Amino acid sequence: MSGRLSRREAIALLAATAAMGGAPALAVPRRVDREVRFGLTAVVVRENIRFFDRWRAYLESRIGRGLRFVQRRSYREIMELLETGDLDFAWICGYPYVQARGRDILELVAVPVFEGAPLYRSYIIVADDSGHGSLAELRGGVFAFSDPDSNSGYLVPRAMLARMGENPEDFFRVTFFTYNHAETVQAVAARVADGGAVDSYVWEYLARKNPGLAGRTRVIGRSGLYGFPPVVARRSVGGGLFRAMRGALLAMKNDPEGQVLLNDLALDGFGVHDPAIFDGIRDLTGVLARAKG
Amino acid sequence: MRPPRALSLSVKLPLTLTAVVAGVAFAIGLAVVVQERERIRHDLQDRALLVAKSIAANVSESILRNDYWSAYKALALVAERDPGAERTRVVTGAVLDPQGRVLAHLDPGENPLGQALATEGPFERRRVGELLARPQASVFWDEAAADAYVEGAVPVRSADSVIGYVLLRLSTEEIAARTRAAAMTVLGIALVLGVVGSALGAWISRRMVQPLRALAGGMESVGRGEFSRLPSATARDRDEIGVLVDSFNRMAAELAEKRVLEQELRTNERLAALGRVAAGVAHEVNNPLAGLLASLDNMRRQPDDPAVQARYLPVLERGLNRIRAVVQALLAELGADAPALSDSGCLNDLRELMIAEIGDRPIDLLWDVKLADVGTCAICRRVQHAVLNLLRNAVQAIPEAGTVRFRAAHEDGRLVFEIEDDGVGIAEPDLERLFDPFYTTRPAGTGLGLWITYRVVVGMKGEIEVKSEPGRGSRFSIRLPMAAPVAGPLMGAAE
Repeated sequence: MSGRLSRREAIALLAATAAMGGAPALAVPRRVDREVRFGLTAVVVRENIRFFDRWRAYLESRIGRGLRFVQRRSYREIMELLETGDLDFAWICGYPYVQARGRDILELVAVPVFEGAPLYRSYIIVADDSGHGSLAELRGGVFAFSDPDSNSGYLVPRAMLARMGENPEDFFRVTFFTYNHAETVQAVAARVADGGAVDSYVWEYLARKNPGLAGRTRVIGRSGLYGFPPVVARRSVGGGLFRAMRGALLAMKNDPEGQVLLNDLALDGFGVHDPAIFDGIRDLTGVLARAKG
Repeated sequence: MRPPRALSLSVKLPLTLTAVVAGVAFAIGLAVVVQERERIRHDLQDRALLVAKSIAANVSESILRNDYWSAYKALALVAERDPGAERTRVVTGAVLDPQGRVLAHLDPGENPLGQALATEGPFERRRVGELLARPQASVFWDEAAADAYVEGAVPVRSADSVIGYVLLRLSTEEIAARTRAAAMTVLGIALVLGVVGSALGAWISRRMVQPLRALAGGMESVGRGEFSRLPSATARDRDEIGVLVDSFNRMAAELAEKRVLEQELRTNERLAALGRVAAGVAHEVNNPLAGLLASLDNMRRQPDDPAVQARYLPVLERGLNRIRAVVQALLAELGADAPALSDSGCLNDLRELMIAEIGDRPIDLLWDVKLADVGTCAICRRVQHAVLNLLRNAVQAIPEAGTVRFRAAHEDGRLVFEIEDDGVGIAEPDLERLFDPFYTTRPAGTGLGLWITYRVVVGMKGEIEVKSEPGRGSRFSIRLPMAAPVAGPLMGAAE
């Protein structure tokens, strides 16, 4: 009886450690026709393991290859795996994509269509019963960013502050990263942070799938529209696999099984769009660079 | 003086045993509960420290990286409770930086990041101050607080420097709950022991008290002088009670034997007295016999001498008169003098005698003789005497008016006489000594009549039986074998 709680806690803490301490990528022996690696980041809510099992099976049957979803805590880790060739595809944020390094090694496969367009926003959220009505009122508070390489979770709010002539370090008392849009919502709901910046798609997804959590937060700021986090491929992926993956994703909205999966993702479908939709993000980096300079 | 309490041993013994068993169980139980409570407290305290330490190990990296969200998650995981499964509740928990500012807190709304702990009072502020001044693992109890807790405080170290503190407060509410559970268990055991103890006590006391009660009953019988119906106490064990029971049984047997010996002795004394009477009678009769025989001898030798005749006849007459006087005196003494029965001894003579004896008193004499032709007159004189004695007693037992029944018959090859009256009856103590010689309840009685009757019947190998109820009358029954009435000399004076 006495050891029970501590044992449970020990396990819980172990799990917590594994979740936050970026474990190194598993060394996987390369072989011909190895399974396709598909990296996932915080742009989607990754907690629904069963959904990703179904999507994996769907994609495998469409591309005719084994496929594995690979999760890492931060965008940066996923980017590194793409660079080293350990990942073939990834669903990443537009910000790492527009960064020079991303442009060189990545190729746009498809852009999700959310609420009719391949676009999304950044939401500034506060706790539901918080008195704050705008980002400016969060001065001196605690603010949660999602990821240093996130557009909606970091770049956009920083740019907002920069336009106000502020930077996060001075404007807020404390800031921290949750490395997960959904957890940013949790941090704000639990009042660990006074405010946070999240992907509008993730917040809307949570509002639909987990209203108990999203309902405890309130959107007080909406940014302009930016290119939706795209699915990219490393340039060295063969043309056959590239085409197969793009075809599979684009075809999802046309067959019933794919439609069910898209419905679970709260997306309209995947489309091929001009990379110019991400120019807005690149402009933001310019704004920040000017603010710093 | 206090009146003696009347509780039976069979109640007192099990009660005492139950009380002792319950008392011991309760005392031990109390000690166990107290010890268990101490153990639970230690257990909880150890847990608070252990959990705080494991959180400290986990948040060290988060603190270095300013990853407050991870630190919060580490705390929240610990505080998370499976609904209903855990009794240990985390009251609150916090991660502080070396200056005491909040890095993570389970109540983030009240304790914002980067600010000093929102403590409730000066006492807690001092506690935090002491902790910051002396960074080492410590435990702190506050059971006076509304939400009583035990706090484990552990510094978070990186390399050699303290980079923060973890405070974890566990609710002490489970101490009471677990102590209560332990107390219930102990109480249950005490109850079971009490029940077993009283059952055992009841069993033991029954084993002990049963022979004691038998002994007490036996003692009472001895006190009343009854030896014949002594309850035989049996001892189960060779213990003190067993020895006592054995001793009592031996004593009772010896008492009974002594009484038999006394009765025999009394009988012998009576026989000796009778012997003396007989010896006296013989002596009185014998004295004149020598002179009479000598006179007779002289008269035979000189049958024709008138002088001899004249001289000895008066001597003879005097001697015989003397003997007659002695016998008559004895008969008068024995009360058997009156009737002169014919040699044939007819039963009807007895009837005539009785009618004469009753005279004009209002007593009915019912005569029922069914002896057929064996001859109502064929009864020997000794039996007639015995029956006559009983008939006379019957008449005498009737105070004024009444009925005397006589019945004579053959039954099952035996001669049966029944003499029944509705007179005063015979009292219980008199019944026992009814046939003793010289025992009488009548002032004028010799005490020899029934004794003679008894001797006659016994001498003929017959039986005599008495049934009597004081105030309602008596019935005497004599049963004689058919061959008997003519046989056997009678030792006694009635013939």
